[in-house]
Amino acid sequence: MTASWNVILQEMLHGTLNTVFNLLKVLIPLMIIIELLITYNVLEKIARRLEFLGKPMGITKNAMFPLVVGVVMGITYGAGTLIELNKQNPLSRRDFLLIGIFMVLCHGIVEAGILFGIVGANVIIVVGVRLLIAFTITCVFARLPYFRHMTD
Amino acid sequence: MSKFFTAVKNGTVKGLKTVLMLLKIMVPIYLLVVLIKYSPIMPWLQDVASPVMKIFRLPPEAAVPVVTGLFSDEYGVVAALGGFNFSMAAITTIAMIALSAHSVPVEAAVAQKIGLPGGAMALLRLGTAVLTGIFVGWLGGVFL
Repeated sequence: MTASWNVILQEMLHGTLNTVFNLLKVLIPLMIIIELLITYNVLEKIARRLEFLGKPMGITKNAMFPLVVGVVMGITYGAGTLIELNKQNPLSRRDFLLIGIFMVLCHGIVEAGILFGIVGANVIIVVGVRLLIAFTITCVFARLPYFRHMTD
Repeated sequence: MSKFFTAVKNGTVKGLKTVLMLLKIMVPIYLLVVLIKYSPIMPWLQDVASPVMKIFRLPPEAAVPVVTGLFSDEYGVVAALGGFNFSMAAITTIAMIALSAHSVPVEAAVAQKIGLPGGAMALLRLGTAVLTGIFVGWLGGVFL
């Protein structure tokens, strides 16, 4: 060991307490925000406003809502919404794959923003640049012949 | 208004439960990282990781949270970050790499399960993580 056990144990104790406080600071606001988003159907409203972004990404209006849910609240919520939606009004394979691409690259931005913001990352980059990158990559994929020729 | 308070109450309860669940994973990861940091493995690890981390303008010890993230989740990354003192630019770059490529095996399995090509999605995420890391590493070097 390159430090005395006394130093190591002290650091461990301090760091563990820090981890507990950081988690409380992240998860309580995050879960409250998610509950409020669900209670007031905020994401449905946001999805409707963002419909115009669907066109360059090659997805239909229908696919916007599960995408927004996954991107904002997290991949499990997104997948859940997708499964619910598929029961009533199934998405096309093309929509499904394209929002899948966006969602695996960028999900749970509220969680990521708070979590990495608290440990000292630049929140604008962590949230904004990731959204931009996922959007750009999805737009590129939508223009590939494989996706363009995918009907239904 | 009562709807509002119910949401806040439910959120707080869920938050506390999740904290307890995550601590069981994060504390062991954090303790292990601190042990590794002071062990003789660390200098060797730094030598091995240094050329790769240079691509992202990261110090060699950044390999620890990045590799932790590949196999655990974002919370594992944060637990591993806690063992070191990184600059804001470095934390931002590590966050960007880890947010594109975390829990790779688990999320590939989830993707496969809901009908997406899991392997292709894992490759897409790793590729994006590398490109994003290079880009943000450069951004951080310039602006932060």
